[in-house]
Parts: sequence; structure tokens; C-alpha cells
Amino acid sequence: MSMPNEKHVDVFGATLTRRGFVKAGGALCVGFGLAGRLPAATPKNTLDPTLPGSWIEIHPDNTILIRTGKSDFGQSTTFTAYRQIVAEELSVPFEAITTVVMGDTDRTPDGSGAFDFLGRGTPNIRKAAAYTYQALLDQASERLRVPRNELSTKDGVFSGRGKRISYGDLVKGRQLKLTIPVTGDLTNLMGLTVTGNPPMKPVSQYTVIGQSYKNSVTASKVAAREQWATDVRLPGLMHARMVHPKTLGSTLVSAGALDKTRFPNSQVIVKGNLVGVVAPTEWEAIRAAQQVAAATKWSEWKGLPGDANLFTHLRESSDWKATPVMKSDKTRGEVAPALANASKKLTATYQMPFMKHAPIGPTMAVADVQAGGEVHIYTHNQNPQALRGEIAQMLGITTDRIVVRSFAGPGHYGRSNGGNAGAEDEAVILSKAVGSPVRVQWMREEDFQWSTQSPAAFSDVEIALDANGKIAAYQVDHYMPAMQDDRPVGAILAGLPTMPAPNEKAEFIGSTANSLQDPWIYDGVPVLLERGHGTYQVGEKASPLGIGLRDHSMRTPGQFQQNFPRELAISEAAALAGADAIQFRIDHATEERAIGVLKAVREASGWQTRPSPANPVSTGDKPARGRGVSVMFRSGTYWACVCEIAVTPSTGAIQVEKYTVAVDPGIIVNPMQLKRQVEGGAVMGISHALLEEAKFDESAITARDWQTYPILKMADIPEIKVVLLNRPEVGSYGGGSEAANALAAPAIAAALFDATGKIARRLPLKADYVQTLLKA
Amino acid sequence: MATIVVNGVRREVPSPGDTPLLYVLRNDLELSGPQFGCGMAQCGSCSVLLDGKEIRSCITPLSAASGKEVTTLEGLGARWAQQKGLPKAEAERTLHPVQQAWIEEQTPLCGFCQNGMMIKATELLERVATPTVAQIKEAFTTSGPSAHLCRCGSYTAIIEAVQHAATIMAKAR
Ligand code: FES
Ligand code: FES
Repeated sequence: MSMPNEKHVDVFGATLTRRGFVKAGGALCVGFGLAGRLPAATPKNTLDPTLPGSWIEIHPDNTILIRTGKSDFGQSTTFTAYRQIVAEELSVPFEAITTVVMGDTDRTPDGSGAFDFLGRGTPNIRKAAAYTYQALLDQASERLRVPRNELSTKDGVFSGRGKRISYGDLVKGRQLKLTIPVTGDLTNLMGLTVTGNPPMKPVSQYTVIGQSYKNSVTASKVAAREQWATDVRLPGLMHARMVHPKTLGSTLVSAGALDKTRFPNSQVIVKGNLVGVVAPTEWEAIRAAQQVAAATKWSEWKGLPGDANLFTHLRESSDWKATPVMKSDKTRGEVAPALANASKKLTATYQMPFMKHAPIGPTMAVADVQAGGEVHIYTHNQNPQALRGEIAQMLGITTDRIVVRSFAGPGHYGRSNGGNAGAEDEAVILSKAVGSPVRVQWMREEDFQWSTQSPAAFSDVEIALDANGKIAAYQVDHYMPAMQDDRPVGAILAGLPTMPAPNEKAEFIGSTANSLQDPWIYDGVPVLLERGHGTYQVGEKASPLGIGLRDHSMRTPGQFQQNFPRELAISEAAALAGADAIQFRIDHATEERAIGVLKAVREASGWQTRPSPANPVSTGDKPARGRGVSVMFRSGTYWACVCEIAVTPSTGAIQVEKYTVAVDPGIIVNPMQLKRQVEGGAVMGISHALLEEAKFDESAITARDWQTYPILKMADIPEIKVVLLNRPEVGSYGGGSEAANALAAPAIAAALFDATGKIARRLPLKADYVQTLLKA
Repeated sequence: MATIVVNGVRREVPSPGDTPLLYVLRNDLELSGPQFGCGMAQCGSCSVLLDGKEIRSCITPLSAASGKEVTTLEGLGARWAQQKGLPKAEAERTLHPVQQAWIEEQTPLCGFCQNGMMIKATELLERVATPTVAQIKEAFTTSGPSAHLCRCGSYTAIIEAVQHAATIMAKAR
């Protein structure tokens, strides 16, 4: 649809529209056009691409606003890296980007989850900025009557042939709209992706990227000026607490009656197996819910194997046949003869437990289902657009009736990247029932027992060594239940529509398929077979609720479960070959960046080249010391880590004394923020390795608080040394928020072997397990 | 109506005396510093100072705070200004050295636990001017009802920020 006075210009596949002149203001706004779709098809309450304002807005006063559908959960990326990337592509100072709008479904363009922020080196925002720069360059060339190639840019001003014009002056009094091409689906996991290939600024000319800018949101959080999701207050807001079923398969027999003499202003809402208590104050809601919970009757259920039998159950009683077996694209050669002809052989099984994401604050959300049926949700969620889709499905309405607003909150580490963390749908159901805004806050115990978890897994590895002590063949079979159950739990309990449980027929998301998540690094190995076997979630089909142990991707998802077996097995193979664990890795790697991080971590940690173990000690009260290494490639970044530990054989207690990590993400956008991300990941990884396991009995998760699910405390952290390798020649930005949490476990287990000569192939490396292992 | 003194101001609150102080601060007084993390004195997200001592507001009943001085994250700047005798106009713009250091060192990741971390740091630095790393670890791990937990793993950054804050405070002496 073309308006009179409109002029359209092609900009590397994007379209610049100039809509006459305006008396005051003016702006350049960057929207998007879906290939093959008319703007009229854009749902309401989504940022309309025909309206001014989308990814980027340039204002007459030279300030710039950016918008992103990605929510920042502490990665700092949207407030630092995204601003730096846009500033760099536009050649403006970092400070020119004065506003960042993120996550709100009606005010941001692209959706998708809080993961892979740097989008394999080219996030949406980078391309949007690159298109914008080209459009500005066209405009400047036209206005100044200077050819494009004679114009140069600095600090938001074009100059050439003695003439100059600022970006602000270019947009002043004009309405410019740049429509850029995108593909994808707004409310699915991945959201929209900007397509095309606008020219990008050469890395050699970078001045903003590579600097340690501060995270602009930190000051408001530190000074108590931030509005957190927990602070959302609406007129008439009611507080709610849930009464969740007794077990993960219990159905409601009878809901407890409310003691109206004690709680005159509360009410109990029951919908199917969903029970909630709503009250005008939070304290009354808590106490009334406790009273109702004590009087509520549930059916008994014992459909889980219990944690002691987990791995027997997984191996012997799970259906690994229905789901297609996945193979890595690096598979090569014939493994059977190579294994049969091995000069030395390692055959081993590795076991990884269920773990909790365990955000420091339990899930909460405010929902306001208005009289006209419009739904507003105020929450802290890693994928607000996907949440919108799930709530629409649950209520049987279209997404245009739903708005999700995002606020700061505790890190979720992947738990809500499929659209829900637990409380959102329950708040909607209760708000609809009582006709006023409702705030659902889960208690600590519920957050452990009713949330999803990172799936348990096991892997069988066989390695053949040749006569020269080199790997002749490597075979691994990874087994893991489905990892991405995005069904909102309140909708399941209430018997409302949801997507299906993960199954073998689903494609990609929601599939039970166990894809290969840990890119192979040892390309010098001639024969390789990597397979992934998937199955249904534990207890889900046996649960009358269809719940059981629901799983969800967690920081470094799947790759954690696959890298621990691989890296520990490689350390074992090195020992079998009588080789040094780092040199053995270097000898089997061919990719120069992989070798680079291994050499860097070797040097930074002061690693002595020798085989493991040197002087193993597995008895006594004196700490035995050892070191181990691990390596990983994830989201464009190479990582290698060395852990040095002290283990007391008589108690089995492990103290990690030093954690050294080398990180090569290609271009480093912000060294300070990257370092803080890596340190945080390191601490979480040591916590995973030493402490974390979601225990369960035949009915339920038995972890209920920070004593039954301990995490690492400050006194237990090691000295952490982070080595950042900036490699501009790589030309892309690698991710930094994941991987670090997965590196510790295989390095610590290898260090335990180095110290004691004993191999621990099961996580976590808790003192009692290590003690028993060392006695054996 | 109960009366409590929060950040130097006398406030009337409607909650009954057995209400945990956390809900009074958040819901009656609309303060956003202290956060609900566990409700069981196991994490430290809800910490405030009560007469200068770090307590867990999630298990402290409102009645236990009467007659005492409550300081929340919002009140740290004023507390520092008062200790230093800064004029009122300046006091309003002041961040506590602990908050300044938290920004300088870029300590928070998600930041949800950091209210308690800054409250604990303030308590420690009012007692020990230049704590050693061992003293810092002890303060955040074993000194209170529980360790102060950070799921994002910001402990290294916290130690560096406490040391930085000590330097700022020493300069102001
Ligand atoms: S919320 Fe009070 S200590 Fe955790
Ligand atoms: S910064 Fe996220 S829990 Fe501490």
C-alpha cells in the first residue's frame, strides 16, 4: 500500500520509505517486513511494523533508542553488548544510545528466548543497525550531493567534500521508515530472524566494541531504583498461593474448606486439579493456603523409580526405540573393526543426575484478565512472546488479546526460555476466576518440587587406542529423556489446552530426540561414531496428571550431559596412553582455535606436562592434590579449563583450589562483562560438579529447600583466573554466558583421578560418594 | 496500626504484628530492596539492618521490629551520609560506598540476591574497616543464620567489591 508523497528506496534488500515532511520532530525508525505477508496480517498488540518504532529509532537530537525481544537475565548483553554493537555499526558514541526497551511483547519486535544473545556472531540488532547505516548513508549522499563512497562517518556525523551533516539533522522534520526483511514466527522459541546481507563495518575499524562499558541497569538495581517483577502493583491486586498436588501424579479428591472465621477475606479457587487461594494481603494468602492445604485430599501415586534406581530404570525400563537415533555429522569410518583391533581399550559409562535451575527467587507473576477478555501479564520470563502463545492456547483466544510485560528478576538459566517458569498461567487462571489482578508467588518448596529440571542422562563410551597411544576409534551412545517440556504446569493441572508433552513425532522443540549437542573437537581421530538416544520424561506417562519429572533445558543444555562423559573419557584415554592430558588433546585436535585455548590454559595455570596420576593417594586425612582439564566449543566460542583440587580421602571432601579458564569467543565485545559472566559460570559449574542432584522418591522431588538442594557458598570458591583471548580475525562474536558452568565437572573428576588414581564417573562428586569410591 | 522506624522515618503500617517484616516492607511501604528468596532464613535475599545488625526480614515478625531502627537498601545512602555528617542536599544524592563499589566492580549478574549481599557488606564494613578475604568469606558464609547464596555465582565479584568499598570508606575518613 503506497501513500501519496511516499518515496521508496531499496537499501541492500531493505526498503526506505520517506513519508513527506513533518513540522516538528521526525525520526528514522526501523521496522520489518515479513516475506510474503501483508502488514495488515500483523496481530494487534504486537509492535506493528507499519507504525513508527521498532528495532532502532534515530531522533533529531541525535539520541538513539533500541528495542529487542530478548530479555536480559543478568547476561548484561542487551544493556552493554547490544548498545556497543549498534553504536559500532552506526559509528556513534556508546552514550548516544540512551534507551533500551526489551522483552515487552507489545513494544519489541523480534521475540525469542534469553539465550544465544549474540546469535552466532550476528544478532538481529547487528543486521538491523547495518541496514540503518546504509539507509542513513543514502540519505546523507542525497542531501549533501556527495557520492556515498566519498562520505566518511564519525560520532554520528557524515562528512565529505567539506560538507557535514549529523544523523539528527538527517531525520529532522522527516518521517523515514526502514523496512527490513525477516523470517520466522514471533511466538515460537526462536522468534523472528533478520535476513539479507547488508554490508557490515569492518572489524578493523572497531572502536566501541572491545571496551568495558558498564551495564546501565546495574546502577538502578544497586540503588534500589529498579522495578522488579516482584514490585508490580496494580489497583485491586490480590495475592495468591497455590496448593499443589501431594505428588507428581496425584489427582484431587477434595479441596479443603477455608476457615472463614480466620480468613474472612480469602477464597479458594478449584479448577480440575488446580487449587489456589486468593486473599487481599500476602500474609493472609500464605496462612490461608497452609490451612487449606492441610485439609485438601489427594490420591496417592508412586510412579517414579526413585533416585537410587534411576539409572537402572533409564537403561532397562525406558523406551529408547520409539525415538529416532540421532547421529553427529562428523561420524566417519567403521567402529566395530577399529574397536576389535584396539591395542588398548576404554569401556565406560558416565551418569549425570537431574539438577534444578534453582533461581534464587521462586517463580512469580501478576496477571490481569480484564472484563473484555484482554489479558495482561507482568512477569520475569525468558521468552515473553512464547508465553503469549501458550496463554492464548490455554484460554482458546488469539494472541492479539494478550500483552506480556517484562521486568527484572532472578536468573532462570534456561527454565523459562520456552515461555513459562511456573506461575504465569496459574496467575491467569486465578485472575480470570476472581475478576481482579492476581499475583501468584510460589514458595521455595514449590519452586523445587513443581518446576522443571535439567534431565538426567547417561553415556556409554568406547575408545580404542592404537600401538602408538593415539585414539584409533571413539564411540559414544548418549541417553537422555526429553529436555524441553514447555507445557505450562497450571494449564495441565486445570485440564486446559496445552501443547503436547514431548514426543517422538514432534519436530525440533518438543521432540524426544536427543540431538548431538557437544561439537566434536578431536578431528585427528580417524574413526568416530556419536549417537544420541531419546525417550519420554521419567514418570510422565505413568502420571494420571501427565506430569512426572518434567524437564527443561538448563544453561549449556544437553551439552553439559554430553561433554562430561567425553572430556572425562578423553582424560582417561590419555592416562591409558601414558600421555599428558593437555598434550593428548592437542595431539588429536586440528582446529587451531581449540589448540589455542588448550595452550593458553596450560600456560596460565602453570600446568606441568606429565601423565596422570603422578603420586596417587587414596587413604588418610591429609589432602591429596591433583589437576584436570576439559575443553568445549559452544556458540562460536572455544573454552578450556583447568581445575586444581585438594581431596581429603578419609572424608571424600573435595575443595577446588584453583579454576583457570581460557576463552576465545572471536571478537570480544566487552571484556569486563565477559569476565564476570565467566566467573559466575565457573562458580555454578563447581556447584553442579560437587553438590547438585535433584533427589526424588517414588512420588515426588524430595529437594525442598537450600539444605536439601545445597549450592556452592562463598567460602567454597576457588581462586578463579580468566584468560580472555580476543581474536578479531575470526570476525564474529561468540557467546559467553554458557559453557563455563559445564567445564568444571569433567576437569574436577579428572583432577580427582590425578590425585587418587580412582575414577568417579557419576555426578555429583559428593563427599560420601567420593569417600566410598576411594575405599573400594 | 503498628509503628516502625524505617530508614530514619517513623511509619504507620496496617499489617498485624505476626506478619513477617519482609511483607510489611514490600507491600505496606512499597520498598523494593529486600526480596523474597526462601522465606526460611536460608538465603539472605531479604536482609535488612535492624539496629545495625543484619537480620532476615522473611522470618522476623513485624512486632520484633518495633522500637528498633530498620535500614533497607534504600536507606544505605542516608545512613552513610549521616555517619559522615553530610549536608541534607548532598545526602539525598549519595550512594553508600558499598553501592558505589558494587557499580564500579559490576558485581550483580541478575542482581536478585544483591540486596542481601550489600546489607551484609555494610554490616561487615561498619565492624571491620579493612576485612581480609578470609573475613569476607566468613561474613558471607557462616556469620549469619545461613550463608548468603548467589545462584549466578557472583562471589568473586562480591569479594572484590567489598575490598573496593573498604578503600572508598577509608578515603572518606
Ligand atoms: S528470603 Fe529471607 S533468607 Fe531467604
Ligand atoms: S546475582 Fe543472580 S543470584 Fe546473585
